[in-house]
Amino acid sequence: MIEFSLNGNPVHTDVEPDTPLLWVIRDNFKLKGSKFGCGMAQCGACTMHIDGRAQRTCVMPVAAVAGKSITTIEGLGTPDNLHPLQQAWTDQGVPQCGYCQSGQIMTAASLLNENPNPSEAQVEEAMAGNICRCGCYPRIKAAILTVAEQSQPGAVQLANPVATSEEVQA
Amino acid sequence: MSGIKLTRRGFLKTTGIVGGGLLIGYVAMPGNNAPAVTPTEGAISPNAYIQLTADNQIIFYSPRDEMGQGVYMGLTTLVAEELDVSLQEIQVEFASVHHDYKHPEYGVQGTGGSSSLRVHYLPLRQVAADTRVLLLNAAAEDLGVPASSLTTENGYIFSNGKAYPYSDFIATAQTLELPAGSPLKAKADFKYIGREIARNDAMAKSTGTAVYGVDIDLPDMHYALVSRSPVAGGKVKSFDDSAARATTGVTDIVQIDSGIAVVAQSFWQAKKAIALLQVTWNQPQLANYSSNQIKADYQAAIDGEKGDTQGLGSIEEGLETASRQVDREFWTPYLAHAPMEPVNAVVRIANGEAELWAGTQSPSTARGLVARHAQLPVEKVTVHSLFSGGGFGRRTYLSHVTEATQVAVATDKTIKLIWTREDDIKNGWYRQASIMKIHGAVDSQGLVTAWDAARAGGDLTPHAIAGLLPGVFTGTPELVNNMAVSALESLYDGWIIDGSGVEGLVADYDFPNNRLRHVSVNHGLPLAAWRSVGHSFTAFAKETVMDELAEQVGLDSIEFRRRNLQGNPRLLGTLEAIEQRLKSWEVGAGRHIGIAAHGSFQSYVAQAAEVSVEQGKIRVHRMLCAIDCGQVVNPDIVRAQVEGAIMYGLTAVLYGDVQIDKGAVKESNFHDYKILRMNEAPAVDVIIVDSDKPPTGVGEPGLPPVGPAVANAVCRATGKRLSALPLKLA
Repeated sequence: MIEFSLNGNPVHTDVEPDTPLLWVIRDNFKLKGSKFGCGMAQCGACTMHIDGRAQRTCVMPVAAVAGKSITTIEGLGTPDNLHPLQQAWTDQGVPQCGYCQSGQIMTAASLLNENPNPSEAQVEEAMAGNICRCGCYPRIKAAILTVAEQSQPGAVQLANPVATSEEVQA
Repeated sequence: MSGIKLTRRGFLKTTGIVGGGLLIGYVAMPGNNAPAVTPTEGAISPNAYIQLTADNQIIFYSPRDEMGQGVYMGLTTLVAEELDVSLQEIQVEFASVHHDYKHPEYGVQGTGGSSSLRVHYLPLRQVAADTRVLLLNAAAEDLGVPASSLTTENGYIFSNGKAYPYSDFIATAQTLELPAGSPLKAKADFKYIGREIARNDAMAKSTGTAVYGVDIDLPDMHYALVSRSPVAGGKVKSFDDSAARATTGVTDIVQIDSGIAVVAQSFWQAKKAIALLQVTWNQPQLANYSSNQIKADYQAAIDGEKGDTQGLGSIEEGLETASRQVDREFWTPYLAHAPMEPVNAVVRIANGEAELWAGTQSPSTARGLVARHAQLPVEKVTVHSLFSGGGFGRRTYLSHVTEATQVAVATDKTIKLIWTREDDIKNGWYRQASIMKIHGAVDSQGLVTAWDAARAGGDLTPHAIAGLLPGVFTGTPELVNNMAVSALESLYDGWIIDGSGVEGLVADYDFPNNRLRHVSVNHGLPLAAWRSVGHSFTAFAKETVMDELAEQVGLDSIEFRRRNLQGNPRLLGTLEAIEQRLKSWEVGAGRHIGIAAHGSFQSYVAQAAEVSVEQGKIRVHRMLCAIDCGQVVNPDIVRAQVEGAIMYGLTAVLYGDVQIDKGAVKESNFHDYKILRMNEAPAVDVIIVDSDKPPTGVGEPGLPPVGPAVANAVCRATGKRLSALPLKLA
């Protein structure tokens, strides 16, 4: 039996120990937000946090996370309680097909945990492992930099570049 | 030169339809006469698109599929506008398969060709406007006031200062006739169309809650992976599954049309088992060809005399008046689509009925394929369409639906069939490879006097038709369908030109003397519509030669194009928008600007690329793009699609190259089929040209100018005219 923490809750599984964490989370724990994209740690769609750091889970045997703490996109924030990155993604219309975005957001969250005020080049470097075939890169970068800026001491809340429908109606 | 001569007009028409990737049209979609939507208790559904529930909830059934391009938002915007309901509160569902939802031009229920807003802009608004008037008429009756005294706002009808939810009038509305031809809003009154409103699927897609085909999880569902011939079209000769069968969790190993399917309780079990399968294949003709030979065959074809020719004026006369000439040949490779979500399908067959869960670009074809292979009438097949993790043309090809159905039938299990990334890259459908030649001539005034263009390569349309026929004519034997496809192939080989291979090659500019020659050379690799189809490569040839002609006569690349765009004011308008913006651009030291302009999918696009070349490496720093796509429904989605098309195009320009080795694709995953990453992505500045014309394509038109804009900038930087993609220096 393999025990670990999943989004703050202790869990265990008796799945074959070489099964990649991605499939255990998706199929045994039914959390479908993390995606299968390449199966060889090339695209980042499967990114989760393991002990707080972004990792590719499509090649990571579940046995390797015994005793560790796993956070998935579902644990980062929910529609009712968005993580600041999810808020920025939504406000700035970042996703297109959306398939890679859980992985993008998890990598970005890990970056901001380690470096709350990254430069543009540092964002690019940190995000280079996550492929977006729709090409949302400029928006992903802008959204991360927005959140970084907002998190700085004394930061002024910036107006959203894209108005909500309520604002348009007003 | 042989065969039917098409007039220019006739030819362009062919191009338009084929350019959309689909040619089967005007076939009545089978199915019963039941209404598309069955309203819930107390609800009303006056048409196939809208349901109003008893608690005043509006449900919109989207006839088109969402793969990132934004129809989920764009089409909903049209409904919100004319029905006068709050856009963000409309619940959007993907439509079931029903003839009411068929694409007005394609004849099947499909999504592609950058056509969704163009074909639905007025009809969907009309449906919503008529529904609103129906509710007003019902309210007038219930309240005993004239309908003209009533107003609406955000799902409420106002009468004498009092607000009534639309749902108050459902009962009466059900007794009234649905009005037709109700007046549509004037542009000045638009509340949603053309406004900056954040897309309605961003929240779900940012929280991991959007549901894609790959996320479907049913009780007792089993995973299936398929071992397919490395060479497309190869059939199983023999196989040994003893080791695979002994793998934990494996329940079935069955032979299907495309290969050997391994079925297991989990994805990982199936993945481990399939590696142990031993399969030998009967090799098709394609196994005799590698990339070098394919290219050599194209070269021989384009250098030869065969092919179909059409044109206007006289090339010879045009050359006589010319002062300068350019004669250049181009190579563009096969490409894979590589959407982030590899194709997959879940099929459940029970009690004489079947269900399919999948994100596709053609749910009606998918339904037909399930019906065909489960041997059920189409009425007994339900398709649950879901978000697609990227399409780009790949999801019009549905062999995975056939595979999932065949495995479900053979195993009597509920099957989730997934293509791995390796399957996606190695066993898919590919953008056509091409050799193109352009001989252009220009006079001393900078006017193009002759434009003689040719292309040799594979014909895409027979492959598109081959993919569709079995799902459209579900009762017709495969043999008959195959014969129809063969007949089509023969037609293109020496009779008519498949527009999807030449669209955009002789286009856009005032070419008074032009000729287009095409030679079909088919080797058997499956071909697909790939984002912007023929334009994805013809624009590279056309705009490179235009740039070189400008250089030859010593004119600025924008001024030269302007002189030759007098008959195309909208493309010129985008070019001049670029010209204007460039005046305030500070081009960095060591950086160079390249220009390109190209029209496709009835929209007009001009681009500037800011590029540097350092130690032989091409770096694209910024892209400037102006698009005229008619009336804009959502400007932010237009910008997003243009940004995305540029990135998708840049991947092809810098890296994209599917190589064939003895018939098999050499690349297999993202390590050797490179995709542009954030650290290589340019900043993008999008200008939307204001227009009152009807909406036209957005998803694809941003792509074609990318290659030539970058290549033209590289030429400024290095003096080298690169005429092969991907771009390589030395």
